[in-house]
Amino acid sequence: MTLARALVLVVLIAPLVPWSQAGIDQRVGSFRPQEEALYLWSGEQVRRLFPGFENLAADVYWLRTVQYFGGERLFARQKRFELLRPLVEITTSLDPRLEIAYRYGAVFLSEPSPSGAGRPREGIAILRTGAQRNPASWRLRQELGFFHFLYLGDARGAAAVLTQAAEIPGAAFWLRTLAADLLKQGGDPQASRRMWREMYEQAEEGVLKENARLQLQILDAEDRADALGKAVVRFEEGHGRRPARLSELVVSGTWRGPVVDPAGFVFHYDETTGHVSVPRESPLWRPARRRNE
Amino acid sequence: MGRGLSRLVAVAANTFRETVRERVLYNLVVFAVLMTLSGLLLGQLSIRQDEKILIDIGLAAMDVFGTLIAIFIGVGLVSKEIERRSLYPLLAKPLSREEFFLGKFVGLVFTLFVNVTAMTLGLYAVLLATGRGIEFRLLSAVYPIFLGLVVVVAFAMLFSTVTSSVLASVCTVGVVVAGRFSDVIRNMREVLPGAPGWLIDALYAVVPNFQNFDFKDRVAYGDAMPPDVLGWVTLYATAYCAIVLLLGLASFRGRDFQ
Amino acid sequence: MEEEPAPLVARGLTKSYRVGHLRQTLRPALVDLDLEVRPGEILGYVGPNGSGKTTTLKLLTGLLRPDRGEARVFGVPVGDRASRRRLGYLPEHPYLYDYLTPAEYLDYAGRLFGLPSADRRRRVEDLLALVGLERSAHTPMRRFSKGMVQRAGLAQALVNSPDLLLLDEPMSGLDPLGRRLVRNLILEQRRAGRTVLFSTHILSDAETLCDRVAVLRGGRLVSVGALGEILRPGVAHLEVLTSGIRPDALSVEGVVRGEAVGERTRLEVEERALGRVVGAVEAGGGRVLAVQPVRQSLEDYFFEEMGGRGDGGNPWGEG
Repeated sequence: MTLARALVLVVLIAPLVPWSQAGIDQRVGSFRPQEEALYLWSGEQVRRLFPGFENLAADVYWLRTVQYFGGERLFARQKRFELLRPLVEITTSLDPRLEIAYRYGAVFLSEPSPSGAGRPREGIAILRTGAQRNPASWRLRQELGFFHFLYLGDARGAAAVLTQAAEIPGAAFWLRTLAADLLKQGGDPQASRRMWREMYEQAEEGVLKENARLQLQILDAEDRADALGKAVVRFEEGHGRRPARLSELVVSGTWRGPVVDPAGFVFHYDETTGHVSVPRESPLWRPARRRNE
Repeated sequence: MGRGLSRLVAVAANTFRETVRERVLYNLVVFAVLMTLSGLLLGQLSIRQDEKILIDIGLAAMDVFGTLIAIFIGVGLVSKEIERRSLYPLLAKPLSREEFFLGKFVGLVFTLFVNVTAMTLGLYAVLLATGRGIEFRLLSAVYPIFLGLVVVVAFAMLFSTVTSSVLASVCTVGVVVAGRFSDVIRNMREVLPGAPGWLIDALYAVVPNFQNFDFKDRVAYGDAMPPDVLGWVTLYATAYCAIVLLLGLASFRGRDFQ
Repeated sequence: MEEEPAPLVARGLTKSYRVGHLRQTLRPALVDLDLEVRPGEILGYVGPNGSGKTTTLKLLTGLLRPDRGEARVFGVPVGDRASRRRLGYLPEHPYLYDYLTPAEYLDYAGRLFGLPSADRRRRVEDLLALVGLERSAHTPMRRFSKGMVQRAGLAQALVNSPDLLLLDEPMSGLDPLGRRLVRNLILEQRRAGRTVLFSTHILSDAETLCDRVAVLRGGRLVSVGALGEILRPGVAHLEVLTSGIRPDALSVEGVVRGEAVGERTRLEVEERALGRVVGAVEAGGGRVLAVQPVRQSLEDYFFEEMGGRGDGGNPWGEG
C-alpha cells in the first residue's frame, strides 16, 4: 500500500462520504433536538457542572438553541417548542448577560402558533428576567415594554415599562413620548408598526431582524386587508352588491394595486360577510389578535 | 492470499487476547455496577420515565466507555508497539505491514463488538429485572453506536502511525469532540453570516459527523426510525473508515523504525 | 544444477537518519556497505556503539529502508516479504509481549510462518527446551528476568528453523550460564549447516566463535576477513608467570609490564628478551612457572584501529 495507491483509492471513495451524509440528513432531518440533556438538568445544575467555563457552556447552549430553530426553517410550521424555554433558561443562567438569548426566546415564545409557541406571558417573563439581570440595558426593557403592547395588548403596562426604559442612559429619546401616547390613546394603529420598525433597525443581521421585518410585513398585510375591506364596502355602495371576487374591484376601478399580500398570496375574501383577510396559507397569516383599543 | 488472511487473523486474535489480558473488559464491571445502581435507585419515578432514563444511561455509557476504549487502546495499538519496539521481531517475519496494521484494527473492533454486546445484554437484563420488557428497537441505537466506535478506532490508529502516543490521543480526542459538534459547524452559517460558506462546507465534510451515529434520543422516545437510514449510516461509516485506514496504511508502510 | 544464492549479499547499502527538529541534518549511519556472507559460516559484526551494526540488521529485516544500495537474502531482495521466510532475527534488548507466556508467543510466531497447529505445538516444545525455558513455558513474560527474555527472544528467532540467523548483541544481559547457552546454540546452528551473522561489542565472543569478522566504524566497513587475515601474525609478546619475585624488583631490559596476580607475578616480556628475563628471575630467587605466547587480540586491533585513524583518538568513532 504505497502512498500513491492509497491516495488514488481515497479519492475514489471520498465522494461516498458526502453522498451518504446527504442520504442520512434527508431521512433524519438536519436539526436534531438534544433532549437527553435537558430533562435532568436545570440551569443551576448545569452551572455547577461547568465551574469556570460558564461562558463557554452558555455559548454552546446558545448555539444549540439557534440550531434548534434552524435557519431556513425559521418560519416553518412543525417545530417542538417545549425545549425552547429550558434551553433559553439554561443559556441565560450560565451567562446572564447574553441579551440576545432573552430576546430570541421571547420572540419565539410569544409568537402565535405555528411559527412560535403562542405563550406570550412566558416570553414576557423571560424578557423581564433579562431586564432585571441587566438593569443597564435599555434595549431589554424597551422590548419588554413593546411586547406588553404587541402581544398582550396591554397599553398601560407597556407605557409603565417604557417610561422606566426611558430613564436608562442611552435610551432613545422618543420612548417617553411613545409612553405618553400609549397612556393617552391606548396606542394608535401606528404604535405597533413603530415598535417593530425600531426593533428592525436595532437588530443585527440574522434571525431577529428577519422576524421584525416579517412582523412589519404582517402589519402591511393586515393594513392592506383592511383597505380592501373598505374598498369592498365602496363597491357595494356603488354597485348595490358585493363583488364576487377581489379582481372585480380592480376591474371596476374601485381598487388600484395588487390584491395579494406582501408575500404574494391572494387575500381571502368572504363574499357573504364582505370580510377580507390574510389567507391561511400565507406566511404572514396570524390568528386574529386583540386589536388594542 | 489465504495465508495473508490467516496471518491477519493471527494478529487480530492476539490483539483481542491482549485487550483481554490488559483488563480492558473490566470496564464492563463498572458498567454493570452503574446499571444495577440505576435500576435500583430510579424506582420513584414513573415507569415510563424510569425506562427512558435506564435506556439513556445504558446507551450513553456504551457510547462513552466504548469511545474511551477506542481512543486509548486504539492509539496504543501502534504507538505502544513502536515505542516499546515490540513490533521488531514480528515485522522481521514474513508478515507485511498491511497485515499487521489491519490485523490490529480487526482485533480491536472485535473487542469493541464484544464489549457492546455484553453491555446490551446487561441493559436488557436490568430492564427485565425491573419489570420491563425486551425491546428490539434498542438495537437500532446500539448498532450505530458501534459503527461510530469503529470510526474512532480508525482515526486513533491513523494518528498513532504518525506521532507519539500522547499526541495521537490528543488528536483523536479532538476529532471526536469536533465530530460531535458537527451540527454546530453546519449551522455556523446562521450564527456567523460573515464566514465564508465554502470553508464551512469543507470543514463539515472533512470532520466525521458523529451525530450520524446518535439515535439514542429517537429510540428512547420511541420515535419511528426511517427504514433505510441505518443503511446510509453504515455506508457513511464504511466509506469514512476505508479512507482513514488507507491513509493509516500508507503512513505505516512508509515508516522507518529507527 | 542451480547454485544456491548466497545467504546475504549487500551492495552499496547506505542509510542516513534525519536528526533535529527545526533544522534537520542528515546523520549517516551506514555508508556504502558491501558485504557477502558465505553459507554455513558464522560472521561476527563488530564495531563500537553507533558504528552502524544495528542499522545494518534493521535494513536486512525490512525495518528500515535504505537510501541507496540493495541487499539480497538467498537471492531475494530485502524489501520483499519472501526474503524473511528463511530469516530469523533477534533485536537488541528484545521486547516480547509481556502479557504472553513464551509458549503463547512462540505459537503466535509460528502462526505468522503459517505452521500448522500440530507442527507448531511440537516446535514450541522443542524450542523452549533448546533455550532452557521449559519450566517457565506457561509463565507470563512480565515475570521474566532479562536473561530469560533474551532466551525467549532467541527461541522466537528460531521458530522457522531459519537458514540465516541475524542476532543483534545476543549475549547482552546474560549471565555466564546464559552466555554459554547462546554460544553453544550458535555453534549448533553452524553444525546444522545454517549461517549466522551476529553483532557484538564483546570482542572475546567474536574471537572464539566467528569464522570471519567484519569490522565497522563510523558507518563504514573497515575490514572483513578471518581473524588470521585481520590480525597481525606472529607473536606480540610473551607472558611469563613467576613466583617469588615482586613486580618492581626486576629491572631488566625487555620487560614491558609486570603485575601481581595473587601471590604470583605476571610479566609481559618481549620475545627476544626471554632468556635474559628468565635468568634475572632465577637470579633474584624466583621461579618461572609458565611461558605463553600472546598474539594480537581483536581488542588490540580494535584499539589500534579505532584509536589512531585521525578521529581525535576517540575509540567510539562518532560519525
